[in-house]
Amino acid sequence: MSVAAQSERGLAQVRIQRWAPALATLLALVLVAAAVEIVLDGAAGLSPLIPKSPEIAGWLRGIGERLGFRVFLIALLASTAAYGGLVVLVRRSSIARPSTGAISKRWAIALVAALQLIVFAGPILLSTDVFSYIAYARMGVEHGLNPYLHGPVAIVSDPVFPYVGEDWVHVATAYGPLYTLLSYPLAPLGVVGALWGMKLEALLASAGTLALTWRCARARGFDPVAALLIVGANPLYVIYGLGGAHNDLIMMLAMMAAVSLTVAGTPSARREAGAAAWVVAGALIKATVAVLLPFMIVSKRRLAPILGALAAIAVGAIVGYAVFGIHGIDLVAALNRDAAFVSTDSFATELAHLVGKPGVFPIDHDLLKGALVLIIVHLLWRTWRGYDWVAASGWALLAISVTSTWLLAWYILWPLPLAVVTRDRRLLAATLVVQLLFIIHQISPLLAPVR
Amino acid sequence: MSRVWRIETVVLVLVGLLLAVATVNDLGREVGINHRLVADLSTWRHYTGHHYLNISIDQETLGADSQREVLCGNTSAAPPGARTQICLGIWGPVVDGLRTVHGGWYLPPYHPDIPANRYGCFGVAGQGRCPR
Repeated sequence: MSVAAQSERGLAQVRIQRWAPALATLLALVLVAAAVEIVLDGAAGLSPLIPKSPEIAGWLRGIGERLGFRVFLIALLASTAAYGGLVVLVRRSSIARPSTGAISKRWAIALVAALQLIVFAGPILLSTDVFSYIAYARMGVEHGLNPYLHGPVAIVSDPVFPYVGEDWVHVATAYGPLYTLLSYPLAPLGVVGALWGMKLEALLASAGTLALTWRCARARGFDPVAALLIVGANPLYVIYGLGGAHNDLIMMLAMMAAVSLTVAGTPSARREAGAAAWVVAGALIKATVAVLLPFMIVSKRRLAPILGALAAIAVGAIVGYAVFGIHGIDLVAALNRDAAFVSTDSFATELAHLVGKPGVFPIDHDLLKGALVLIIVHLLWRTWRGYDWVAASGWALLAISVTSTWLLAWYILWPLPLAVVTRDRRLLAATLVVQLLFIIHQISPLLAPVR
Repeated sequence: MSRVWRIETVVLVLVGLLLAVATVNDLGREVGINHRLVADLSTWRHYTGHHYLNISIDQETLGADSQREVLCGNTSAAPPGARTQICLGIWGPVVDGLRTVHGGWYLPPYHPDIPANRYGCFGVAGQGRCPR
C-alpha cells in the first residue's frame, strides 16, 4: 500500500472515530422509536399483527393507535435501515480500533437492554406460538394429558385454548422434552401468569445468549461490542424473536453455551464433553440445534464430545421416556411432520412461484432435502480439512432455514450469534442478506392501494 | 485464498441472486394480487351499494390462478353471514379501481358457498352453478 493510500485510510478512520458516537446515537434513537411505536400501537389491541391474547399490556393502552400493516412495516423498515447503518458503523469502527471499537461498551449494553425491555413490557407480537407452549404445559400439568399425543383441541374448555392459533389446535407438540418440562412449572400460574413466565424465560434466554456471544467474541479476538449490537439490536431478533417470546431463544442460549465452552477458556476434554452435552440439551428444547454436533465432533476428533453427547442423550432419553413415553423422545417423527408444512414466506414457495408453479409439491420437498444433505456433507468435509466448526454450524443452520418450506422470521436468527464469532465474514453477510430478503417479502401491504 | 473458497463464494453469490430475484418476483406477484383484491372489494360495494367490511373472497371457485374471484357478503346489515348473501363473480382488468361483475348467485343465511346452497344464479358467472 502506498503512503498516500495509507494516509487516506487513516484520515477516513479518524473521521469514523469522530462521527461514530453521534451517528450511532441517531441510529439507536430510530431503533428505539420504532420498537416503542410497535409496542404502544400493539398494546392498543384489535390488530391483525397482534394475536388474540389476555390483556397483559393494558397499562400501555390508550397511548398508541391500533397497529396496522402500514405503520408496522414502516417501523420495521426504519429499524432495519437503522440496524444496517449500525452494523456498518460498528464493523468499520472495530476495524479502526479492533480491541474496543469506537462505540462504548456501556452505550451498546444500554441500547440492547432498552430494546429488549421495551418489547418485554408490551404485548405478544406477531405469533400465537407462545399460547401453544402454554397449552402444552397446561395439558400435562392441569389435565394429565400427554402433549406429545394430543393437540390443544384436547383441552377446549381450558382458558388458554381460545388463544391457540387455529392452525395448531390439532397439532401435538414438536418441541423437545426438556422444553416441555421447563414450561411445566408455569402451567399452574394461569394463562396471564404463564404468559409473563414465558416472556421472562425468553428475556433471560436472550440476555444469556447475548452475554455468551460477547464472551465468545472476546475469546476469539473480535470486538464484543460489535457482536452484541449485531445480535441484540437485530430487528428480527427483537421484534419477532423476543416479541413473540419464542423458545428459539432458549435453544440459542444452549447453542452459545456449547460454543462458549469450546472457544473460551483452556481447552480440555471436560469442557468438550460439556459443550456436546449443551448441544444435546439445546436439541431437547428444539431439535434443529443438533446439527452442531457432527461439526463439533469432526472438528475435535476426540472421544470427549462423543461421550458427552451420549451421556446427555441417555439422560434426556430416560427422563423424556419416563415422563412422556416413547413419543416424547421421537424427535425425528416431529421433525418429519414439521418438514411437510409450507409457508408463504419460504424461499421454496418463492422459487416455485418464480418458475410458474402454484406452490411447493412433494418432489420439491425431496429436492430440498437432497440439497441440504449435499450442503451438510460439504461442510463436514470442510470442517474435517480444518474449517472452523462454529462457522460450519452457522452455515448448516442457515441452509436449514433457507431450504425449509416452513420459514418463519425467528428461524433465520439461528445462525446470527455464530456468525459474529467466526472469521468467515461471508456467514454474517449471507445471514443478513437472507434476513433482508425476508423483510422485503413482508412489505407487499405497504405497496397495496389505500382503500 | 483457496480454490474451494472462491468456488463457494461464486455459488453463494449465485444462490443469493436467485433468492433475491425470487423474492422480488414474489413481492410483485403479491402486490398484483392485493391490487386486484382491493378492486374486487370496491366492486362488490359499488355494485351492491352496501359499504360492508366483512366480505369473503374466494379465489378457487372460478379457477385457481384464473384471476377470477367470487365475493360474498350480506344483503343487509348484520354479522358476517347472518343474512341472505349475494355472491358476485368478478374478473377483468382494474379500471378506476373497479373490475367487472359477470353475474353471481345468492346463499341463505349461515350457509357456505357450495353448489347445493346456491339459488337465483344470474349472468355468465352464475350459468350452471345453481342446482335447479
